[in-house]
Amino acid sequence: MILTAVFLLSLSALSFEILLVRVFSISQWNHLSFMVISITLFGFAAGGTFLNIIDTYKKGWEKHLSSFENIHIFTILFTISTIISFIVLNRIPLDYFRLPLEPVQAFYLLTAYLLLALPFFFTGLVMSISYAFMPEKTGFVYFANMAGSASGAIIPVIFLPSIYEGNLIILSALIPLAVIFLKHPDHNQRRIITRRRYFRLICICIIITAGILIVKGGNSFVRVKPSPYKKLSQMLLFPNTRITEVTNSIRGRFENVESPHLRFAPGLSLKYEGLLPDQTATFKDGDNPLFLYQLTSQNDAQFSKFTLPYSGYLLVPHPKHILVIQHGGGSAIPCALASGSDSITIVEQQPQIAKRVQQHYKLPVINQNSRTFLARSDRRYDIIHIENWGTSLPGSAALTQDYFFTIESFTQYFEHLSNNGVFIVSRLLLLPPSDAIRLWATAYESLRSLEIKNPEKHIAVLRNWNSFTMIVSIPPFNDKTVLEDVSRNLNFDIVYLPGISKKNVNRFNVFDAPYHYNEINRLAEAYRLGTEKTYFGNYPMDVFPQTDNHPFPYRFLKWSRLKALYKMTGSRFYSLFMSGEIVVSAVLIEALGISILLLILPFFATLKETRKFYFSHMLYFLAVGSGFMFIELYFIKEYIFVFADPVISLTVVITGLLVFSAFGGYWSQRISAKNFPIAIAALIVILVCMFFIFNPMMHRVIQLNKFLRYPLSLLLLLPPGFLLGLPFPLGMRYILNLPAQRTYAWTINGCASVLASIASAQIALGIGISAIMIFAISAYFLAFIALCFKRI
Amino acid sequence: MKKHLIALLIITVFPSFLMGRVQKDAPKYQQAREKMVLSQIRLRGISDKKVLKAMSEVLRHSFVPEDLASQAYADHPLPIGEGQTISQPYIVALMTERLKLKGPESVLEIGTGSGYQAAVLANVVKEVYTIEIRKNLHTKANQTLHSLGYTNIKTRHADGYFGWPEAAPFDCIMITAAIDHIPPPLLKQLKDGGRLILPLGNPFSYQNLSLVIKQGEDYTVKQITGVLFVPMTGYALDHN
Repeated sequence: MILTAVFLLSLSALSFEILLVRVFSISQWNHLSFMVISITLFGFAAGGTFLNIIDTYKKGWEKHLSSFENIHIFTILFTISTIISFIVLNRIPLDYFRLPLEPVQAFYLLTAYLLLALPFFFTGLVMSISYAFMPEKTGFVYFANMAGSASGAIIPVIFLPSIYEGNLIILSALIPLAVIFLKHPDHNQRRIITRRRYFRLICICIIITAGILIVKGGNSFVRVKPSPYKKLSQMLLFPNTRITEVTNSIRGRFENVESPHLRFAPGLSLKYEGLLPDQTATFKDGDNPLFLYQLTSQNDAQFSKFTLPYSGYLLVPHPKHILVIQHGGGSAIPCALASGSDSITIVEQQPQIAKRVQQHYKLPVINQNSRTFLARSDRRYDIIHIENWGTSLPGSAALTQDYFFTIESFTQYFEHLSNNGVFIVSRLLLLPPSDAIRLWATAYESLRSLEIKNPEKHIAVLRNWNSFTMIVSIPPFNDKTVLEDVSRNLNFDIVYLPGISKKNVNRFNVFDAPYHYNEINRLAEAYRLGTEKTYFGNYPMDVFPQTDNHPFPYRFLKWSRLKALYKMTGSRFYSLFMSGEIVVSAVLIEALGISILLLILPFFATLKETRKFYFSHMLYFLAVGSGFMFIELYFIKEYIFVFADPVISLTVVITGLLVFSAFGGYWSQRISAKNFPIAIAALIVILVCMFFIFNPMMHRVIQLNKFLRYPLSLLLLLPPGFLLGLPFPLGMRYILNLPAQRTYAWTINGCASVLASIASAQIALGIGISAIMIFAISAYFLAFIALCFKRI
Repeated sequence: MKKHLIALLIITVFPSFLMGRVQKDAPKYQQAREKMVLSQIRLRGISDKKVLKAMSEVLRHSFVPEDLASQAYADHPLPIGEGQTISQPYIVALMTERLKLKGPESVLEIGTGSGYQAAVLANVVKEVYTIEIRKNLHTKANQTLHSLGYTNIKTRHADGYFGWPEAAPFDCIMITAAIDHIPPPLLKQLKDGGRLILPLGNPFSYQNLSLVIKQGEDYTVKQITGVLFVPMTGYALDHN
């Protein structure tokens, strides 16, 4: 019965964790989902600490707490706390923006945090009890835990298209109650039968309440609403604006909006005097909208000839083939249509958006990751136009791993251009200059890698008051008249064009100084002199070009220049407060504090004679806990390159690793104490091999069609996943003797996992993704050393 | 006889009913206003005499909700309902000054809100046209402006994006809500040499107070300063 409870609770807890990430993505921003990881593992670890304290006062607790009554009570408490904590989170007026201004917001945050940790606390409690109660069956407990978690990871994938996040949280919270309805052969005594009836009655009450919440609670209690600061919320404030269709999936919530007030045309010249065509929009998680124009004839797309990106189209007057790589926005398609080209290919990686674009424009839309598409295509294009405007909250995308703007991806784009081809990308203009400098440097490095002489002669940058367009041309810009004329006629400003003089910049969209012109020219000069590294080192923001190993194109923060940046952005705390890196750092500090508390608490609470937990034990479980998480995060980050979607990557990796680890755990029952170190050594060898071969393999895998890509990606997880399932249950069985030791090991494992998961984000941002694997190998090497010096 | 009585009733009671809805001036408000003009506006560099005079004459406390009247002259914006705000006095003065108004101009304001900015403009120029998209705000501002006796302000409940074509062209246009682009119909309604001022940028973070000047066929956009127009949050979300 206890193993069934472990399986069902693990299933429901992991499903809740993934659904919470979805809730945070909609109601807040993606980067705050790091809080979910912290909450989850904090709850798990707290379960172990709690049992350690119990151990002081009550001997033989493991037998008592593993009784069917107590397991039933913990299961019921899990379900109740899951439902209540979600509803409180959904209703509480928590606003991160107001955190520095209103002390009550800290109280709301703490309340949400503690309540959300409760379900994981009860799950952690049952796990710890299981390990303590059945030391000889740690492999089976591990199997039930991992298999349950893997199943829980799949639940949102299967059910989100038909059930909303809130309803699914409530329904999946009810699943563990099944354990109360299962018949057990030992439970035939009259007392037990009476109690089981009592528990079943409570369960029925909970199920009825949940049903009422789903049916009647609807909009006010259960429906997750986007943050009021997101674009969708803002849009809905306008009259006659309504959501016409909602499509839900693990990839996000897609909402189609109709409104007479949709007027999207970034980079539109002030010389344009007409009206924009009617538009509809599709929002993903309440933000990142895609606008679709009602174009009844080619003439309706003429407005786009007044936009900044169209300047690039003027360099190729009659383009034969155009490739539009779409990621939000929507103004690139009218540009392509206005050019008169007969061959327009659109690449959109979100299936829901791809379908909508195809239905709307009746154009061929390839639903693929652009890197995969280009890797599998030999066609050359006259124009490649990338549209990607980013989120509505500057800084919130700092952690976003994106392969649109790396040196390698630029090289791939340029290799697919015809001899007269141009590459166009438009972004929002930031001050202080950052994005424009990085993109210019990325184009320069990429052209240089293709052995093009004088790369700076192939790049041009134009701007208006809030956006810029970078144009990279295969032939050099020897004749500058086209871009000079279009800038003059449409009142755009030239930021960079080889040989342009300072008096011809900053004319129509006037800043106090031509900041962007100054910086890009300074960088171009640094490249000429070979001092670009010094330039990047001295610049107050991180504008270094990104690579596939370090793909964070929206991250600009330099910790050493934080004070200067704070002053530059108008000394507004909130503008830094929502930056992804700062949020992660805050969560890391908070998690570190909680971990120390959870690890120290048992030492103060327990009696001296029970403190038989040696440093080598601690080191072993710290290393195993962090190692597992480093590996998981490494694969999640690597697979984003393959699937171009963090949620798909997360689901594939969690499911794959947990299933294979579960089988590893099951198999660990057969491993003797003598062979224990060999298992760890085998894992280290596999990880070292992975470090060298995995990345090159990913570049091969990306070229395969999706029917091969998914199974192969899963298969690659098999060797490390299986071996990852060995160290924890083997350690629990062969290193530790006492129940209190096992619960303490559980706490250490939880704390190490949470710290490693948050640290992984910082490692990837600071050093690169492959460095996470080095940390993982080091962790398991430490575990191996700890094992060699263990004291039992 | 009855008809005469009804007419008399309308002439006497209705205006007094309207008058009763606005906060009258009082010595404490006069002192607060003088202090506001000196410390918040003049010392921050606003020197246009017409603007300073308008700021010291317009009864700002009449444009804010009754329970916030005591804070009307404080150095910050205030909520006026429907998720909207009345701007900080300094921003009102700055935006007005940057239009370089002489007196005989015709000005279009987009986003009436409380009506305070329109009242300030009306004290400086010949005629003001103001548009509000939200019905309740439009009605309330209209009542306030009439009860305070502003006869050179024309109000309209409409989408300001399309401007006021019948009254165009305008010497100046002022947009008083954060917007991420400059509406083409408004540029079309601007006279040659005309000026358009607006908080331009991401409505969800901070914007740049920008001045657009039309010179012949060309436009120049100048960034004045960073501003933060409070995001419109809350109400309509629940309605949707």
